[in-house]
Amino acid sequence: MVSLSELVEEARLSARALLDYGESFFNPTIRLGVTGLSRAGKTVFITALIHGLVRGGRLPVFEALASGRIARAYLAPQPDDGVPRFAYESHVKSLVAERRWPSSTVDISELRLVIEFQRSNGAERTLTLDIVDYPGEWLLDLPLLNKSYEDWARESLALSRNEPRVHLAGAWHAHLATLSATGREDEPATLEAARLFTDYLRACRDDRFAMSLLPPGRFLMPGNLAGSPALTFAPLDLPSEGSAPDGSLWAMMARRYESYKDIVVRPFFRDHFARLDRQIVLVDALAAFNAGPEALHDLEAALTGILDCFRVGRSSVLSTLFRPRIDRILFAATKADHLHHTSHDRLEAVLRRAVNRAVSRAESTGAAIDVVALAAVRATREALVARGRDKLPSLLGTPAAGESANGEIFDGNTEVATFPGELPADAEELFKGGAYRGLSSAAADGTDFRFLRFRPPLLAPDAGGEPALPHIRLDRALQFLIGDRLQ
Amino acid sequence: MSDRAKPRRPQTFRLDDPDVVVVDTEDAGRPGRGSIQITPEADPAQLPVPVEVVLPARRGVRWGALFWGSVGGLVLLGLGLGVTRLIEDLFARSEALGYVGAGFAAAAAIALAAVIGRETYGLVRLATIEKLHARAAAVLLSDDRAESRAVIAELLRIAHANPRLARPRAELAGHADDIIDGADMIKLAERELMTPLDIEARRLVSVAAQRVSVVTAVSPRAMIDVLFVFVASLRMIRQLAMLYGGRPGALGMISLLRHVIAHLAITGGMAASDSLIQQVLGHGIAAKLSQRLGEGVLNGLLTARLGLAAIDVTRPMPFAALPRPALADLAKDLLRKQEDEEK
Repeated sequence: MVSLSELVEEARLSARALLDYGESFFNPTIRLGVTGLSRAGKTVFITALIHGLVRGGRLPVFEALASGRIARAYLAPQPDDGVPRFAYESHVKSLVAERRWPSSTVDISELRLVIEFQRSNGAERTLTLDIVDYPGEWLLDLPLLNKSYEDWARESLALSRNEPRVHLAGAWHAHLATLSATGREDEPATLEAARLFTDYLRACRDDRFAMSLLPPGRFLMPGNLAGSPALTFAPLDLPSEGSAPDGSLWAMMARRYESYKDIVVRPFFRDHFARLDRQIVLVDALAAFNAGPEALHDLEAALTGILDCFRVGRSSVLSTLFRPRIDRILFAATKADHLHHTSHDRLEAVLRRAVNRAVSRAESTGAAIDVVALAAVRATREALVARGRDKLPSLLGTPAAGESANGEIFDGNTEVATFPGELPADAEELFKGGAYRGLSSAAADGTDFRFLRFRPPLLAPDAGGEPALPHIRLDRALQFLIGDRLQ
Repeated sequence: MSDRAKPRRPQTFRLDDPDVVVVDTEDAGRPGRGSIQITPEADPAQLPVPVEVVLPARRGVRWGALFWGSVGGLVLLGLGLGVTRLIEDLFARSEALGYVGAGFAAAAAIALAAVIGRETYGLVRLATIEKLHARAAAVLLSDDRAESRAVIAELLRIAHANPRLARPRAELAGHADDIIDGADMIKLAERELMTPLDIEARRLVSVAAQRVSVVTAVSPRAMIDVLFVFVASLRMIRQLAMLYGGRPGALGMISLLRHVIAHLAITGGMAASDSLIQQVLGHGIAAKLSQRLGEGVLNGLLTARLGLAAIDVTRPMPFAALPRPALADLAKDLLRKQEDEEK
């Protein structure tokens, strides 16, 4: 049965790919996958990318734009009528006018950008860029596609018994002890278990712990499915042998888990991830630095699981026809503006270490890989702070309201200079147990890193009306992702 | 945290704190009053970034090449026919003469093959160096580790012919397995391999420029000037190409000369004239020297400019870690020499 449903899924994907190929034959299109867990900065990246292309930003390394070969870029009606449009204008407004980061994404949205350019040999062409934005939590579901309910329940339970999660899972563990997997199915108990499990996932996401590996993602960001049976299940303490008896709690949970995969995960994967051409993986490593080594390990595990789901490799004619592959992946450590530029290489090294497995897998298939530290919108300036003989490479910026440092809470209007701590020269050291102290294990003033959250920069409007957004290495990212198609 | 006994702790300072002084970049270094001084740094994103001009790749049928190729073929056929006839005639007259003629023809054919082989080798070498230059420039942008290793391996192969680079080569080969990012690896290779060559290249250009300036200052006729400048420039370009690992023959020299002149035209027409005028006027040289000597200096500077363009073309790596030799440095050498002679 399983193999049959997988076959049907494959056939659907291939049919879709064939159709896409026909379309893009006359109208070259790149589907850019912007991948990232929640708060990695997907929405800001997409907004800055579109702004840079449409307005013509300062992107010297992006050759096609810098040398003037891009005549213009404009937004076009998107291909899918059933998906909301990416609210580009309101995101730009909140960034530039209100100096506020866009609020977190709760639903999927899509945008199509058309670039008119002249090739190096003089021919005039257009390139269409399709970009999808979605809540990062949903990404956590992709690894579930290859897991049975039993696998998932065992893994989730084992994970919740580790530090520091075990303190947060107390209420759920207590309730779990009252349930018997082989007992009769029981709707009120299931509801209660799902609620407690969701509370535990939410607590793990707090800034102090910054855990990443929290499937299923729709529990955190339910969208329009809130309260439906497909979202009402939880891991059980299962016996290591045997299968679910008919009518038992176990059987009910497993059934709902499977329908969660069918209703939520498969369509999401099919519509948005199975047919990407290029991919950028945005990773916010700084939140993990703030929280502690456990958060960093969690991030590594989550990324590895997610990246295993993508189809990566050098494209060939046959693969383009039936099984599209991602032939370029860029791993980007976002929020690089929260570090002095002398530390960017070290941040890149940490990211390279965290996605090591995914990188070597992609390299062995022939896909092009790059790792970069970037800031899609640069919120800080750099400064040197001299105190006595100490010289600290620091950052100037306005922390968001509610951020705190040295026991002081900022109001969102004070400018500060901050030195966030020193990344080690060898990235490996951060991954050792207890390598550094974060908010999860130490008081706020005893941590080894403190990355404040800054407000977007104050921009003076220039002659062109809307000011260009400052950035760090956004141009290099663009050159890598779409530069070769604009030759 | 191996490089330092204790990592520095994160710290935050309010800018409106009375202890904090914000120092302007301009008067940095002046002691301020507060105990904590903050110096904003120049925004790297606001600094001008040079954008390399990419010449459009040539596409389509190259009619010129086709024309010269077919004409060359016809001439060769004609020559072959003529030689065969000649040898037949010689055999008709006397067998011994025929054998001598055939021997000459065979020797000429062998020599021609050798010359063609050498020219081809030279052209291939030049193309390799040019491609290596482009690849190294691409790695500097993309920071690709695997590609950087490939570039280094190729570079070491070319540098193998130069015995003076034995020690830098060994050092670089020792770094090949270290964990160094792509762009940094290229820069490291540039520092190791190119430093001695750059010094030598600068000396070559400087010597050629001085020779030209002296000869044109004392030569009696303009025709001799022109001839001498041409020969000296050719010699300099050839020496530079040999230095950086090229082996140009006659055809190679022609293609190299075309590249150098094209490079000069693209990058530096304006810059050259600007800095030239500045150099000449700045030193008040025109007033101090006689007209002839002034002309000599100008010719020398032009030769130096040509030499710099030749360095850019023949060098297998772009200038990234090392400073590009500037006309000002060479001009200084030149002027100093002229002034010494004046005294």
